[in-house]
Amino acid sequence: MSDADPRSLARERTRLSWRRTALGLAGGAVAGARLLQEVVGPAAWLLALAGLTAALLVARFARRRHEADPSVAQAGGRLVTTVAVGTLLVGVAALVVLLALATDRVSVL
Amino acid sequence: MPQPGRPDEPPAARPAAHADDRAPRTAEASRPRFPARVYAVGAEPDARFSLANERTFLAWVRTALALLAGGVALEALDLPVLPGLRLAAAVLLVVLGTLAPALAWWGWARTERAIRTGRALPAPVGFAVLVVGACAAGALVLIGLVLR
Repeated sequence: MSDADPRSLARERTRLSWRRTALGLAGGAVAGARLLQEVVGPAAWLLALAGLTAALLVARFARRRHEADPSVAQAGGRLVTTVAVGTLLVGVAALVVLLALATDRVSVL
Repeated sequence: MPQPGRPDEPPAARPAAHADDRAPRTAEASRPRFPARVYAVGAEPDARFSLANERTFLAWVRTALALLAGGVALEALDLPVLPGLRLAAAVLLVVLGTLAPALAWWGWARTERAIRTGRALPAPVGFAVLVVGACAAGALVLIGLVLR
């Protein structure tokens, strides 16, 4: 590790940023599944599983990228695009959940 | 020792990436970098600039996730707010949260291009949408609380 290189700090900050994002994704997936459970039953936990898997993949991929594996280091744009599309899909799913909640008047509490 | 930035890589290497598509693929040139709209222009910048751009993108994604969580929670937790206004605020927040990753990607691509070509950074994308939308959602909830 070249600790004197300030770029390594930038890499670390970026890696932590990816990790926060992955944590948010995981937490959001579990919370979303808890809400969806009221509407579609236990199948909602598939969403939690998918979200957790996605979060793990993001964290793992970001780590390999952070360690400057040349085959992964180049994939920054792909990773960024994948995360953007994924978040957009989460948004569409949230809109569906919202409308389901609004029409069914389902309450969690 | 890791080679983080490769700032001394010749810029000419980038546009040629498509030309030698049939050349034996090494780990370095395994795939053309995506998106070409960003990576086909300019020269490889100092890694710190690209990393800062990436962190900004990630901050937008987290903002999007927070907007989505807020919108869904507003409706799901059955808060004592006028139902119509509450639903309007929730939908607004979720729509903002769906829009945000698209704006984030667009901003990331524009900034990366500017960094690679050495131009001035573009004005931030989507700030107005986000600020106006969040304020409107807050106002809806406030009015819904008062009129309840």
